[in-house]
Amino acid sequence: MTGQQPSPVLAVDGLTKDYPGVRAVDNVSFSVEQSTVHCLVGENGAGKSTLVKMLTGALRPTSGSMRVGGSPYEPSNPSDARAGGIATLFQELHVVDELTVQENLTLGMERSRFGFLVKSDLDDRVVRTLAAIEPSIDPSARVSTLSVAQKQIVEIARAASSGASVIIMDEPTAALSEREVERLFAVIRRLREADVTVIYISHKLDEIFKLGDAVTVLRDGKHIATKKLSEVAGRAELIEMMIGRSVLQTYAPRSTVTDETVLAAEGLTSELLKDVSFHINRGEIVGFYGLVGAGKTEIARALFGADRVSGSIRFKGQSVGRSPKGAIASGIALVPEERRTQGLFTSLSIRRNISVMNTRRLSSGGVFRSSDERAAAVEYVQKLSIATDSIEKYAEKLSGGNQQKVVLAKCLFADADLLLLDEPTRGVDVGAKTEIYDIIRQLADAGTSVAVFSSELEEVLGICDRIFLLFSGSVQAEVTNGPDVDPASILNVVTGGGAHAVQ
Amino acid sequence: MTVMSHISVQHPASTTRGDHVARFLRNYYIYFVLVAVVVVLSVANLDRFDLFERGNFLNPSNIINILRVSAPLLTLAGAFTLLMVSGYIDLSVGSAMSLSAVVYALLAINGVPFLAAFGITILVGVGLGAINGFLVARLKITPVIATLITLSLYKGVALLLVQDGVSAIKSGGGLSMPGWFNSYGREGVLVGLPMAFWVAVLVTIVLVIAQDRTLLGKYAAATGGNPTAAKLSGINTTRIVFLLYVIVGVSAALAGIARSSFMSLGDPLSGDGMELSAILVVLLGGTAFSGGEGRVLRSFVGALIIMALTVGMLTLVPAYYQTLVLGSALLAAAASNHLISRKEKAS
Repeated sequence: MTGQQPSPVLAVDGLTKDYPGVRAVDNVSFSVEQSTVHCLVGENGAGKSTLVKMLTGALRPTSGSMRVGGSPYEPSNPSDARAGGIATLFQELHVVDELTVQENLTLGMERSRFGFLVKSDLDDRVVRTLAAIEPSIDPSARVSTLSVAQKQIVEIARAASSGASVIIMDEPTAALSEREVERLFAVIRRLREADVTVIYISHKLDEIFKLGDAVTVLRDGKHIATKKLSEVAGRAELIEMMIGRSVLQTYAPRSTVTDETVLAAEGLTSELLKDVSFHINRGEIVGFYGLVGAGKTEIARALFGADRVSGSIRFKGQSVGRSPKGAIASGIALVPEERRTQGLFTSLSIRRNISVMNTRRLSSGGVFRSSDERAAAVEYVQKLSIATDSIEKYAEKLSGGNQQKVVLAKCLFADADLLLLDEPTRGVDVGAKTEIYDIIRQLADAGTSVAVFSSELEEVLGICDRIFLLFSGSVQAEVTNGPDVDPASILNVVTGGGAHAVQ
Repeated sequence: MTVMSHISVQHPASTTRGDHVARFLRNYYIYFVLVAVVVVLSVANLDRFDLFERGNFLNPSNIINILRVSAPLLTLAGAFTLLMVSGYIDLSVGSAMSLSAVVYALLAINGVPFLAAFGITILVGVGLGAINGFLVARLKITPVIATLITLSLYKGVALLLVQDGVSAIKSGGGLSMPGWFNSYGREGVLVGLPMAFWVAVLVTIVLVIAQDRTLLGKYAAATGGNPTAAKLSGINTTRIVFLLYVIVGVSAALAGIARSSFMSLGDPLSGDGMELSAILVVLLGGTAFSGGEGRVLRSFVGALIIMALTVGMLTLVPAYYQTLVLGSALLAAAASNHLISRKEKAS
């Protein structure tokens, strides 16, 4: 593209990853120039994380090849990636709190004689690397005394001093304050000056324009473009590349929505939420759409009483939000994001899972009626067409879609009037997705209110009657769904582009 | 909480006052406790109870007596600390100690010379530790379960070895213990203290150095502090944990030798309850139950405190209260440990 032609530090060629029934990454080719900040963007499910997993050796590609510094690169585990000069900064931090900064920096690379640690140039090198990228961190401080942002910088320094030529950062600003983000950016720029290449993954488009030299856009597993950021006209162009024109409008206005408010939330505020207010009507499907960290899960958990927030939540005229037990009793049920760990008892049968939230209905005088439990299980397995040969099958043996249906059945059996669905179709195959959407619509038609918390635009545009757009803990805009809703402007709002001109 | 200008260098960013207090408490409180215990026991004039006939608590012969009795626990404290720092635990130490004591006594009474008997018993300790290490580090069985199983196994073997109807291996029936057997644990060789005590000191010194100066010490802390980070840094945590179990096994064997020679018999029940004492000592020394944090030397001091209290208690409360008192002390140590950890996390 330009006059000088340095060989790319990393090149992927025809990279493809197939999962049963899904092609997560489809023939992706691009290259990353040395000493640049190369951004990777795309919607949820675009294939970014699968691509990163292949780069770090966590996954093997189905086909295609990668080259680092011109030589073939085939990592089969994270230490291969390290040896190849590729380090990754994960969202969860991998530092040892109990050791000092310097001990963390040399961890695993120490020089020793007969098992005894010996002083070496390594100690000087790591201290110098750290001083070069962030002089305010004392190498002799214990890591437990550092803030999250500083721990992150310690990890970056470790990657840099281990000789990594490429550092992959996956949403590194998710847990940082604005001030800390600025500091991280300064660190990243200093890395670039030190000839380290950074692959930067973020949903926040502003960050990308601020920091990036080049950007690669993925959509539906395919490579859309790799461009210099100076050649990208602006947010609008980037957003258009991210969503294309492929968002299908499958939404049909529903006639069963009422004006009767069942839930009203006023001024919900917590560490993450900023003065969130909204209401949900009976028989309505409401969407909360935002990116990772925008506050979706926090709102869901607050409504369910799992986390305490300030502000008021009134459900059918009563104040709720104090405990999950109270929420269930008044008719609110939550289908959590982490289905396997929070929503399902994987070591119990389908029958036992369905009855677990409402055992009172199945017992009289403290005696449990198994026959009714069996009948209920059979009823819901049929109603939600859960694919199983027996209600005695363990939940862990079911596919993701069927597991999610069991969680839904559990909530339905609890006679919920308001269903909170946090990422209801994550990890669910396409067929089951459609079925789950149908179930949600049927429920709403029958008078149940549903709140869908999702980071998939297609999902909220497909089923929700009204959509609240979230960005960094506050409601930026409310959209009434319909054929004239513009996905690009929605994406603009949730990536921090301001609330104006949505409809 | 982060308020750093970009100019300032060499200052830990967010060290708060509460953090300093918590660190100070964790580092030094054990020494204050030791002094306090000694003072209290000295003031509570033990003479009155006429049990020791040695006068005041601070009387040299009384101190020597306490240190002699303490040798097994002092031997065990350091290795147990390192294991807990790495986030693991060994409930079988008491049984391993009993079995070692029985083996050692059997060898001695059958005429095996001192050094050979000593060496063989230590090899037994290596083996017992290796079994634990294999179950926990290789087969990934939960440490509590695995070592609870070996607790029962090792004790079973110890009982089998003493199967002829007597309760312990001791002089009698034509066989008698050689003279060196008893003197190892009782006879003063240096400032009136026996070999067994000096071996405990030596073991502690070695482990203090290991903790501060070797890869093993650092990797133990890394394994306990953040296992994922340790693995991602290329540390073979399986090997570290296995090695630590072997070290605990050797310490248990040394403790068994000390105990049996002090009592002049090989008692298959002599190590009973030792795992609780070891946990108590290590917690008292400020080792975090969750791993990552803890010092060998502080556990050594913790062991001194517990033994001073135990001996002191003999004169103050009836013996049958002792388990209850031990349990209460354990509760107090665990609770204060937890509170300090929480303070550290919060600040």
